[in-house]
Amino acid sequence: MVGLWLNIDYAAFVALFCIGLYVVLAKQNLIKKLLGLNIMETAVFAFIVTSGMVDFGAAPIISDDTTGPFASPLPHALILTGIVVALSITALALSLIVEIYRRCGTIEADELKGVE
Amino acid sequence: MNRGLIVFILLAAAVPMLAGVAGLPRPGDPQAPVHAHVAAHYVKEGVRESGAANLVTGVLLNYRAFDTFGEVMVIFAALAAVTGVSSVPPGQRPGESGGRNDSPRPVSPPISPVVAFIIRCTAPFIALFAAFVIFKGHVHPGGGFQGGVILGALLMMLSVVFGRGTRDPLVPPPLAAWLQAAAPLTFAAVAVVGVLLTGYLLGFPGAALGPVRTLMMIALELGIAVGSAVIILGLFQHMRGD
Repeated sequence: MVGLWLNIDYAAFVALFCIGLYVVLAKQNLIKKLLGLNIMETAVFAFIVTSGMVDFGAAPIISDDTTGPFASPLPHALILTGIVVALSITALALSLIVEIYRRCGTIEADELKGVE
Repeated sequence: MNRGLIVFILLAAAVPMLAGVAGLPRPGDPQAPVHAHVAAHYVKEGVRESGAANLVTGVLLNYRAFDTFGEVMVIFAALAAVTGVSSVPPGQRPGESGGRNDSPRPVSPPISPVVAFIIRCTAPFIALFAAFVIFKGHVHPGGGFQGGVILGALLMMLSVVFGRGTRDPLVPPPLAAWLQAAAPLTFAAVAVVGVLLTGYLLGFPGAALGPVRTLMMIALELGIAVGSAVIILGLFQHMRGD
């Protein structure tokens, strides 16, 4: 439990992830499910970016008048790619939801079960 | 889904994750593995090897350029999929035939002259800010890619104000089709330049050809920025039904 208390930031991201997971599981509205998915993605991104920070560190931009320690640039670059992929997923899912509404007239998952 | 099952799934997800993060090194620990190995090398040699003062840009465009190439292709594929999914074949548009949502197309209200005037006044400054972010972003936190999004938002505002329709779009369709592919095309072009200069795909020349290397990076940033601006504009016009 001591480790968990030291890593309270990480525990907060686990909580955020679980909030997103709850929204995905419990809500019937497809747009709300997508929002939940975005909350989960945000939790993962924040977790990985936080792991790259360092005590009293600066942004990893090197010039003559900056001195270390610098935050690790690798998590930032990886998460930048991840954000873009998440954005693409969101755009595609939203357009699919629009199409579902056009064809079925509803975006509630429980009502969609009855639609043929 | 019933409540008990949801609580069970949440617990099954949360408990192992909490146990996992409890064993991680404390955030900000300088001895953590995330600051060793390649990251330490990037911080130490990154500026000399990649030529980018912002190490995140250096990692994205130089060390992991293949990764970014793939990312650009993902955006492009998502755009193609969105356009494919949401384009309705002619004759099936709502309002033309007996769709379920048979409401008539909403007539957009006229734009308020105040809004139009303000947008016209602020447009040059927004364009300047977008150019600043694109060209200066690689030495500031955050990087230069967002400049493209600012540019896209500006184009969107302008197309709202000037209210051009299908007949007279802001960007002509043949040009728009090429501009939407700007990011993958620029990446491919820079990859070929890399082959010619160094013999490797997406290879960047060393410090001896520093200006060429900087030009290649700016070309990549510009390509990504223009590509994302036109993609945003295209999605907006698509949604509006142009």
